[in-house]
Amino acid sequence: MITKTLLRALDGKALWVLAALLLIAIAVPASNLALPSGHPLRVPDHFVPLLGKYLTYAMLALALDLVWGFCGILSLGHGAFFALGGYAMGMYLMRQIGDRGVYAHPILPDFMVFLNWKELPWFWYGFDMFWFSAVMVVVAPGLLAFVFGWFAFRSRVTGVYLSIITQAMTYALMLAFFRNDMGFGGNNGLTDFKDILGAPIQAGTTRAALFAASAVALGLCFLVCSAIVNSKLGKVLVAVRDAESRTRFLGYRVERYKLFAFTASAMMAGLAGALYVPQVGIINPGEFAPANSIEIVIWTAVGGRGTLVGPIIGAVLVNAGKSWFTGLFPEFWLFALGGLFVAVTLFLPRGIVGTLADAWHAMKARHRPASLEEGSPRPPKGSARMDPSPAE
Amino acid sequence: MSDRQTLLYLDGVSVSFDGFKAINNLSLIVGHRELQAIIGPNGAGKTTMMDIITGKTRPDEGEVFFEGAIDLTRLDETAIAELGIGRKFQKPTVFESHTVWDNLALALKKPRGVFSTWFYHPSQEDVARLDEILDIIRLRPRRDALAANLSHGQKQWLEIGMLLAQDPKLLLVDEPVAGMTDAETVETAKLLKEIARTRSVVVVEHDMSFVRDLAARVTVLAEGSVLAQGSLDHVSADPRVIESYLGR
Amino acid sequence: MHPIRLILTLLLALLLTGAPGALAQADTVEALVRALPEGGYSEREKVIFALAETGDDRVARLLSVLGEGDLYLHEADGRVVAARRSGEGYAISDALSGEALGTVEKGALEKIRVNNRLRRAIDGAIAQLTLMSPRAPVRLSAARNLLKTAEPDALDLLDKALARESDADVRRVMEQARAAIVLKTETSVEEQLAAVEMLAERGDREALAMLTGALAGAAPPVQSALRSGIASVERRLALWDALQNVWYGLSLGSVLLLAAIGLAITFGVMGVINMAHGEIVMLGAYTTFAVQQVIRTSFPGLFDYSLAIALPLAFLIAALVGIAIERGIIRWLYGRPLETLLATWGLSLVLQQTVRTIFGPNNREVGNPAWMSGAFELGGLSITWNRLWIVAFALFVFAVLLAVLNRTQLGLQMRAVTQNRRMASAMGIRTPWVDAMTFGLGSGIAGMAGVALSQIDNVSPNLGQSYIIDSFMVVVFGGVGNLWGTLVGAFTLGVVNKFLEPYAGAVLGKILILVFIILFIQRRPRGLFALKGRAVDA
Ligand SMILES: Nc1ncnc2c1ncn2[C@@H]1O[C@H](COP(=O)(O)OP(=O)(O)OP(=O)(O)O)[C@@H](O)[C@H]1O
Ligand SMILES: [Mg+2]
Repeated sequence: MITKTLLRALDGKALWVLAALLLIAIAVPASNLALPSGHPLRVPDHFVPLLGKYLTYAMLALALDLVWGFCGILSLGHGAFFALGGYAMGMYLMRQIGDRGVYAHPILPDFMVFLNWKELPWFWYGFDMFWFSAVMVVVAPGLLAFVFGWFAFRSRVTGVYLSIITQAMTYALMLAFFRNDMGFGGNNGLTDFKDILGAPIQAGTTRAALFAASAVALGLCFLVCSAIVNSKLGKVLVAVRDAESRTRFLGYRVERYKLFAFTASAMMAGLAGALYVPQVGIINPGEFAPANSIEIVIWTAVGGRGTLVGPIIGAVLVNAGKSWFTGLFPEFWLFALGGLFVAVTLFLPRGIVGTLADAWHAMKARHRPASLEEGSPRPPKGSARMDPSPAE
Repeated sequence: MSDRQTLLYLDGVSVSFDGFKAINNLSLIVGHRELQAIIGPNGAGKTTMMDIITGKTRPDEGEVFFEGAIDLTRLDETAIAELGIGRKFQKPTVFESHTVWDNLALALKKPRGVFSTWFYHPSQEDVARLDEILDIIRLRPRRDALAANLSHGQKQWLEIGMLLAQDPKLLLVDEPVAGMTDAETVETAKLLKEIARTRSVVVVEHDMSFVRDLAARVTVLAEGSVLAQGSLDHVSADPRVIESYLGR
Repeated sequence: MHPIRLILTLLLALLLTGAPGALAQADTVEALVRALPEGGYSEREKVIFALAETGDDRVARLLSVLGEGDLYLHEADGRVVAARRSGEGYAISDALSGEALGTVEKGALEKIRVNNRLRRAIDGAIAQLTLMSPRAPVRLSAARNLLKTAEPDALDLLDKALARESDADVRRVMEQARAAIVLKTETSVEEQLAAVEMLAERGDREALAMLTGALAGAAPPVQSALRSGIASVERRLALWDALQNVWYGLSLGSVLLLAAIGLAITFGVMGVINMAHGEIVMLGAYTTFAVQQVIRTSFPGLFDYSLAIALPLAFLIAALVGIAIERGIIRWLYGRPLETLLATWGLSLVLQQTVRTIFGPNNREVGNPAWMSGAFELGGLSITWNRLWIVAFALFVFAVLLAVLNRTQLGLQMRAVTQNRRMASAMGIRTPWVDAMTFGLGSGIAGMAGVALSQIDNVSPNLGQSYIIDSFMVVVFGGVGNLWGTLVGAFTLGVVNKFLEPYAGAVLGKILILVFIILFIQRRPRGLFALKGRAVDA
């Protein structure tokens, strides 16, 4: 049964995306490592982690799309799950420093020595082991999402209310992580990493490997999402998005479906965060800022929510634009970003991919007999609006 | 009253919204394999009654029992639906961004758990059953059309089809023939009578010729309580019924 | 002090000293001062006592100058002068009158020396002079001083002063000072008990410190009295602390109310999530800054009216911006609240960046007009004027808004649109116009909130961001579509926040509040004062 579900996930388009990701996963590191520097086809050194970062952002946007685009839950707190995954990875990397820190303490990270702590807090136990950290990378955000969602969905908090309390959640976490006595490095966060799995973190090969890992992880997430949305489960999620209480009257436990999507999505976000941290070399409480979480929403919206390729394209495009913009006219980036929010919601509600798909279907429809015209699987406009509960 | 014969049992149910009593000491019994029609002027509380049965609205007081022992006032919509109470809404509500086929497939009686839906694959019988329903509701040519693009009447039919797919023990059907042609109305009455041979059906309708076609016991609701009960001819001769319809 | 009492005291003082004697006394004071440089320390001590006996107002100052070692003999003319280093030489002034006499070289002066014994004598003499001063305020401050130092040597003097003190206020402080001294010295148990009672009655932090200080060396019966005294003072202090917290809470609540009330209107009436609301508040604050800037450069005299000018201006600017936002963006997104949220968020980024470009990224200085600065004491409370004004202003705005909603045509139409948009439009209400006006009103109020906030917070491009989440919490907590809910929500959150702060710290307190609201929404998904009915189901 599971294989059938997987096979279905791998239908036409998905296969292409996976192939493309695999190609990137091989081509970019290969070109960076194998070609001599100065070669026109070589990906420059500083580009590798940058592109890797985009890929983790794409994962994050994909995760958000699963809940927003397919289930109608606009989470303004996905940055929190990303950051939690990042912190779990950061804790592993901190423990890997060992006695090479400034204070050369064999166990305690520098900031703890600085704060005069005598022993490791209990929640840092186990993070010296990679497997444990790797588990925590998905378990910590997943658990938070599960507990949060369990409360929220059970009491039927929906729409903007839900959005606002997810925002409050990430805001509260940000304040908490800023505190020194939380034990996560306060303001400065976790940084100065030395190596990962024994490999020096700054080395070109490590970076190439991290990039490849990001591409593969993105591919896996894509596969999982595809398996979800192309199954009956995905149809139920869309049903919840469009008419939540009607779904209830059909006997579906809506809160469980939402909880599943929310938790799965948070775990993917956590994984993205974990891959992000070693590539940028730092994780700090700023990642919890509500503004970051809203930015994820715009990546997804630009690319096209409710499609699986959209968020990936959106995340890469917007962030490439950001890198380019902040390089040229740093003051104008916020204007551009703000304008993007407004323009996309007003003029491109289905995003780039959604709009292209619409155009494509419209073109195909024109070349087909009129009787079949209805067959195009094209969702109605504004389909992610709040739940229009069945009126009587 | 014997539990064996009663599928649904409402006693002394009242509910008020901000002081306005929408349902007032309502008592009602629906037997096994019974077809019952409910009529009443606008605002009589017919839809609200269905809301109470399906768990959408909690009654302020009164008892609602299903199959003798199951207290519906303690359950939520999902649990009630899982018990086997299906509902068609007054305003047709279907999943607009799904195709007709998917709408029916979602309604089809199958395990509703998250993981069982994830790994669900339609079996031969499932497909056959859905095809059969498509034929009944005459939407086979529109099988792959988006529900959003259906006409009002077609949406009504689709919702009836979803009810069929759900395979409930009790069907609550709110104004099924609004927006249908006369021929379709006759067709619907036939279908409902057919269904009522194996399960119970409660139909709310304003269309009197349709109600007559149903040839069922009629309950008249007015201002939140039962005014009269009996055959259509019997109740339409009742002076209180006449007054409640005309006196408004 | 009451003016009539002041006059009476002055008259009394005049009668006591006697007008004709004043001249003779002046002679003796002058003569005594001239005698100061002569002889050794013991002679000087006698002169000091004699000076104190005169009770002359000017003597206290003279003696304190002497105590500080700044009194000199001007050798050329034998005058006693106060001297202070000034550049190369010394600036001298008359010892008694303080009249400036120019500068001289160091060699022209001879210091009038004092030793520790003399210093003590001087302190006593000053205390005597001030405690017996004919002017009540002087006596009061002297008594307060004694209460603080509780100098045992001053006991006799204090008794003397008490014997002739007629002013009740001064008398009470003197008695308290006496009690403080008694507690420090070896006296009878009865006297000590009375002292404890006296201090416990005073009931402030100083009294608490004195009582606790006395605890160690006290006799057993006194100790138990001290304990109960301490407990009662602590209780009273806790009460005042609680009241002070309530006040801080109300003050924070009024700020939240101001920030959230506009949001409550746009969210409540139109179901529109305006993420740029905080930035509109910010526009109001910058309007205040701009107004003050113009006033500072062109009409300095008008500074005290700057807020009165800024208020309507801020309302107007914010309302216009709000209407522009509604007409330009939000109108296209009705019924799609999540999209509205995103678009207005984008707008907030643009507004922020615009302000940053025009006014720079740093904090801008917005001044408090005279009538808004300073503080006053009310019982054990300390209340700053700006906070008081803001509380009053918030309540005023709330009242006006309530009146607008309940009594005007626009309010009626707004309520109609809230309850049933389609029905209202069918009845001929121009819903687009109502929407624009509502949004304008909500934004205008946000602008005025910005004027108020500029008085207590930093005016920077981030001003809006720091309030937006809190404002949403207030609205969500209070319940959408209900102004009273917003009021109760704002003040509850404000007070709870301030009560949590001392125990949990500011940041943890805030986190707790956020967690509390998250849990609260689970219980009541539609807030404290939720609208009921079918409309909200849709
Ligand atoms: N959630 C609610 N809030 C307020 N009033 C309600 C609510 N639900 C129902 N009502 C009121 O209860 C009364 C009964 O409504 P109901 O919809 O049950 O009538 P009905 O018999 O179905 O009428 P119709 O024939 O027009 O469908 C109406 O007056 C309605 O306004
Ligand atoms: Mg009805």
